[in-house]
Amino acid sequence: MTFDLQRILESKRALRRSLAQRPVVEKLALLDVLRDRVRVIRAAAAERAATMAREAPSEDHAQPRNP
Amino acid sequence: MSIAQVISVINQMEADGVVARYAIGGAVGATFYLEPLATLDVDIFVAFRHQAGQVVVSPRPIFDYLTARGGVVEGEYIVLAGWPVQFLPATSPLVEEALAEAVTVGVEGTPARVFTAEHLAAIALQTGRAKDHARLLQFIEAAAINAERFQGLVRRHGLLDRWQTFEQRFLQGSS
Repeated sequence: MTFDLQRILESKRALRRSLAQRPVVEKLALLDVLRDRVRVIRAAAAERAATMAREAPSEDHAQPRNP
Repeated sequence: MSIAQVISVINQMEADGVVARYAIGGAVGATFYLEPLATLDVDIFVAFRHQAGQVVVSPRPIFDYLTARGGVVEGEYIVLAGWPVQFLPATSPLVEEALAEAVTVGVEGTPARVFTAEHLAAIALQTGRAKDHARLLQFIEAAAINAERFQGLVRRHGLLDRWQTFEQRFLQGSS
């Protein structure tokens, strides 16, 4: 492992090339897996956003009302 | 629950004459040429069978056919084998050509018709959202498109200005 940016970028390119060269049936199976992951991540992000919205003080409470 | 099952269902739908022709586009289509691209849905481009007296092309026959076979309608999508599938008509000469020239790729014995890499790249250029530009860059960086064929599509479909802008923005100084 290294923190050499050029080597990191090259390793990313190599991984992408290797994935691109896999048989189509394998790549389509990976799509199924990726989709499941994206759904989990999106659901978690939505839940977090909803929690933050619930916990944030509303403008009505945060600012004094004019008489 | 797999995308291969979706392809089988669409093949059968075409064989049963519900659509004249189909081809896979979008991120799933691009995955046939690139590394797998995360996506939440499947874009299927279709040529409809024209019926006498019908002015507006309707996706109704597709939805009727697929719901009778377990598909579930969710807005503009129909969910097949767990995947939301969107059916898109060919609404531009470029997409019409892409559909006509789509190639058949075997997926473990199942034929899957998919846009050519050059058509997918040209459609990304034409559509022009950020994610389309990213996809076009992936095609170029992976050398997954035939440059001469792609340039021919760019010229024939009036995309030269878009291509020049794209080149200036993303490719200058990268070679």
